[in-house]
Parts: sequence; structure tokens; C-alpha cells
Amino acid sequence: MPAKYMIHAKPAPNRFKAPTKSGVIAWWEGCLGCPHCVKEQCVYGVYHKRDLDVRQMIDSIDNQCMSCLRCVQGCRKELIHKSMNPEYTSLGDSHWTPDVIASLWYQAETGKIPVSGAGYPGPFSGPGFDSMWTDMSEIVRPTRDGIHGREYISTGINIGGSPDHLSFTASGELEDNAPFRAEIPLPIILSLPPLGSWGENTVKGWAMAAREIGTFLSLPHDMIKDELVSLKESLIPVVDNGQPGSLKEMEGFTLLEVPWREDWKEIRERIKERNPSTLIFWRIPIVKEAAEKVLCLVNSGASAFYLKGTENGRHVDDDTAFIKEAIRSIHVTLVEKGIRDKITLLVGGGLAMAEHVAKSIICGADGVVLDLPILIAIECRMCRRCTKGLPCPVEIDRAEPSWVASRVTNLIGAWHNQLLEVMGAMGIRDVRRLRGETGRAMFYEDLDRSTFGSLGTPREGYELE
Amino acid sequence: MSKDRKPILALFYCQHTPQSSEQDKQALEVKYGKSLRLFPMPCSGRIEPLHLLRALEEFADAAYVICCPAQECRYFDGNLRAKKRVQRVREDIMSLGFQGYRIGIVMNSKEKQESLAKLTDEIVDTIAQLKPLPILNPQG
Repeated sequence: MPAKYMIHAKPAPNRFKAPTKSGVIAWWEGCLGCPHCVKEQCVYGVYHKRDLDVRQMIDSIDNQCMSCLRCVQGCRKELIHKSMNPEYTSLGDSHWTPDVIASLWYQAETGKIPVSGAGYPGPFSGPGFDSMWTDMSEIVRPTRDGIHGREYISTGINIGGSPDHLSFTASGELEDNAPFRAEIPLPIILSLPPLGSWGENTVKGWAMAAREIGTFLSLPHDMIKDELVSLKESLIPVVDNGQPGSLKEMEGFTLLEVPWREDWKEIRERIKERNPSTLIFWRIPIVKEAAEKVLCLVNSGASAFYLKGTENGRHVDDDTAFIKEAIRSIHVTLVEKGIRDKITLLVGGGLAMAEHVAKSIICGADGVVLDLPILIAIECRMCRRCTKGLPCPVEIDRAEPSWVASRVTNLIGAWHNQLLEVMGAMGIRDVRRLRGETGRAMFYEDLDRSTFGSLGTPREGYELE
Repeated sequence: MSKDRKPILALFYCQHTPQSSEQDKQALEVKYGKSLRLFPMPCSGRIEPLHLLRALEEFADAAYVICCPAQECRYFDGNLRAKKRVQRVREDIMSLGFQGYRIGIVMNSKEKQESLAKLTDEIVDTIAQLKPLPILNPQG
């Protein structure tokens, strides 16, 4: 059995104080001067260790408070209150919510799985991946305890399809069918985020993280220069048009990412002519015709695809449809055509939590491509100020490459551990067997249809609570 | 130092100020650039003299607070407490020989609540003639 694949986390503290969920409003006017003030009794001593980060005007009272509300309840004159912090509630947007961002920060800082405490306070179901639940029926098996269990749980995947059959030489030796071009130890590839005020050091840090965890970072080919050349075995250059200029010095790369274009045949020919051994990794936007494009490419020999949705996890041409449905539909189409094993299907766009990796795979993907999470890992607040020419509040471009690499390694390590946990609980020992295993999940839409479908549908304009 | 230098304003505002979302905040930052630093607060009563004084000490030529109209504070009298604290700091800096209007508070109108952008414009007009703090301002 191969050595257990582990990602070792090293704490990488925040460079800037993170906005806290709530703020303390503590007054002293009207104080009764009780001999045993609740501020004195604070077990965390937040009222004694006051400090002010003037750069961000963040008071230490908020960062140190653990929200036990003892002082709020105990003050006889009711001079202490807690309130939601507007800096926190304004983080991100409806998809990249403040809680998602804060959770990613925590994982990137510590490398630990976030634990929210007993009970689940959220809604029963929600949009997108929130409308599916994974099967945890085998959670009681101690040997399959994901992270620390005795049994080995493999999270490795191959990029490039499996051959239909094996060929042997006359002497009985296996012919080199080159079935797989690349193998990664976890079903995650990194990609440059579509926004952010990152600089060369940041990209170097991301590439270092990709090397550390044994995966790839995809980035435009013209960014691979200077120090990044030494990390080329962990990089996937994005080649837009396959022109000779863009293919220059493309030797030595395992994979090339090529965005879908109408003239894809010519691009492929140009690339094959120059780099016959390189595997092309086709990036296709998730649109209505995505399945047809995949089929068309598969029929001409393509074997690796990256289906990309919007950064909010929706279809590119339909903001109401989630990528979850597209993955399921494309996967089923490929299975029905009998060609699913010939290709590797990675998906990306809007994947914000560790559970999205497992859920994408259950829906039919082989793995995922992460872009914005690796930006949030380095303290991005998703304020999108960079897109308006405003300065980055956390000066991302000034972060050291080693710190960037540690943060991203920690985040992916925490996600890997969560994947192990969920696979252990599902009784699955190989992530390749989880692909399309919808029997290991329940979908709200399916349950709703099978339970209440016979009762009809609500009249238009009405909603059931 | 350039004569065109605009005074730098540190503006603390209650999160219940009308039209003070993140988008509104960013629009103001685009408009005023580096001469405006905005700090949303859960309640204006959260302001402490230290916040205002440290802002003046580190980067600002003026520090102002925007609070809710009288009797409309979600915490009953946070705005009144903020007002008293600001007045106290104002007196303190005047006793040190600085212009009093480097520190101020704007209480929104009860009848017609103004937006964050409108109130910011008014405050910026108020401090337009301020010169950099002679001793404390590091850029001075």
C-alpha cells in the first residue's frame, strides 16, 4: 500500500486583523460602580487587554470577545450590548457569504476543519449544493474514520481517460497505451482567480502551494517566466489560440489548458504538431450546449475537460441554473453514450466550501478546479474594490510567497481532511468510486417530487413555506 | 507640500445611516480617493475618544462621527453618548490649541434623514480649509 497522502498544516497567522462577526458596545456613562463589575469578571479578560489597530480601526475588544454574552446579561445597568459588525456583514455577496469567507480564512490560517458547535442552525434546504445531502450511513465504522483510520482512503485521480482495452505485444507484454497522462493525489486543481490585486509574488506562492500538495496551478502561459519556470512541473499553461508564439517553450508541461473556441480543431492540430505528448485540457463554459461540445471533442479524441460555471456557481448563460444540474446532466449523457471512462471531467466556478468538492464528484465530476478560494485564503474580503481601481484593504500583492503557499496549503489540507471524513462516513475508500454515485446522496428536488408531486404544484405567484 | 492637498477625513458612521452599504461606501472612496477613510460602526455610541484621537495622530486631519437622529438610536441613547464624547474630545483638542472643528459629530435629521453621501459632502465642505495638523500629522 502506498504511503498515506497527508497535507501537513503549519499555522499561518493573518497579516490583517479579520473583521469579527459581532462588535461589543460597552458604555461607561451611567455606571453604578458595582464592586464586582462584569468587565472585571470577563474570563477572557477582553476589557483589560484593550488595543486598537489604527490601520483598520479594529478594536481588540471585538477580536478577543468569544460572545459568551456573560457581560451583556450581567451588567445591572444594561450598559453592554453586542451587535452585528457592519464590516463583517458587508463581506462578499449572496454566494460568497461572510460566513463562507470567515470559514475559509480560519481553514487557511490553521489548516483545521471548522467546527461550528452543536446543532445546525441553518435552513432545511437551500439553492445549489445546499439542496443535496450526503449519505453518512457508515459513520459508525471506526476503521474507516477518514483522517486517522487504519484503512487507506484514496483521494487520487487520473487526468486523461482510461483506454477501452489493453493491448499486448506478441511476447505478452503490455503495450504502452499511455492511459493516463497525469495523476494527482487529490481531486483538486488550482487556477488563477478571475479578480484580485495579486502580483507576481502571489502567483509564485500559489505555484509553490500546488507543488507542495502535488497538484497543478493553471495560469496564462505568458506569466510563466523567471522563477516560475522552476515550478513548471506543477503548472498548467493556458494557451488561448495555439499560435506558434503562445506555444513557444511549451515543452515540459504535462497539461495545456485551452479555452473552447469555434476553431478548436485548428488549435488542436497546431498544438499536437508542436507538442504531441502534451494532454490538452479543454475549458468549456457551462452553457446549454456544453454537453454537445464535450461529445464533439470526445469523438475527436479529447480526454480531459474543465467545465467552468460563473464565480457564483451558476450556468454562464443562465443565472438561475446551478452548476450542480449541469454536472449531473453531462455525466449522465456521457454514461449513456458509454464513454464516461474515456474522459476526465473537472468542474469549477463558485465552489466555496469543502463539501462542494464531494458533492460535485457525487454529481459526476472527477475533480474540481478552485480559483476564488485560493484568493480568499490569503485574506481577500471579496469586496471587489480591485475591480474599481480602489486599493486592496489587505494589500494582497505585498504578501510573501511562502506565506501565500502556507495559507493555500492549509486550506487545501483542511478540505482534503473534510473529503476524507465525508468519504469515510459514506463507506467509500476511493474518490474515483464516488464519481456519479448519486445513491450516496439525497436531492431535495427528487424528494420533494416523490413525496409531494402527486399533490400538484403551487399556483404561479404562490410559494409553499 | 502641495497647496492642492485635501484634508484627510476619518469618518465613523452608524451602520443605520441611510444608503451606507458597502457599495455606497466604495462609491464615496472612488469620489474622494485617499482624502476619505470610512469606518462603519454597529452604533455611533461605540465611538471612544481614543478612536478619534488615534485617527488624528496617525493619518487624519479631521475625525467626524455620523449618528442617528435623536431618540432613534437602536440602543436607546448611543447617539447621545457619542455626542457627549465627541464634544469632550473637541474641548480637549481646543485646549491644546487645535481648531475645534477637526473633531465633530453630525446627527441625522429626524424629519428627513440624509444619505451617507450627502452628509459626507457636507462634512468635507466644513473641513475644506483645514491645514494639516502641525505636529502630529506624519505627512505634515
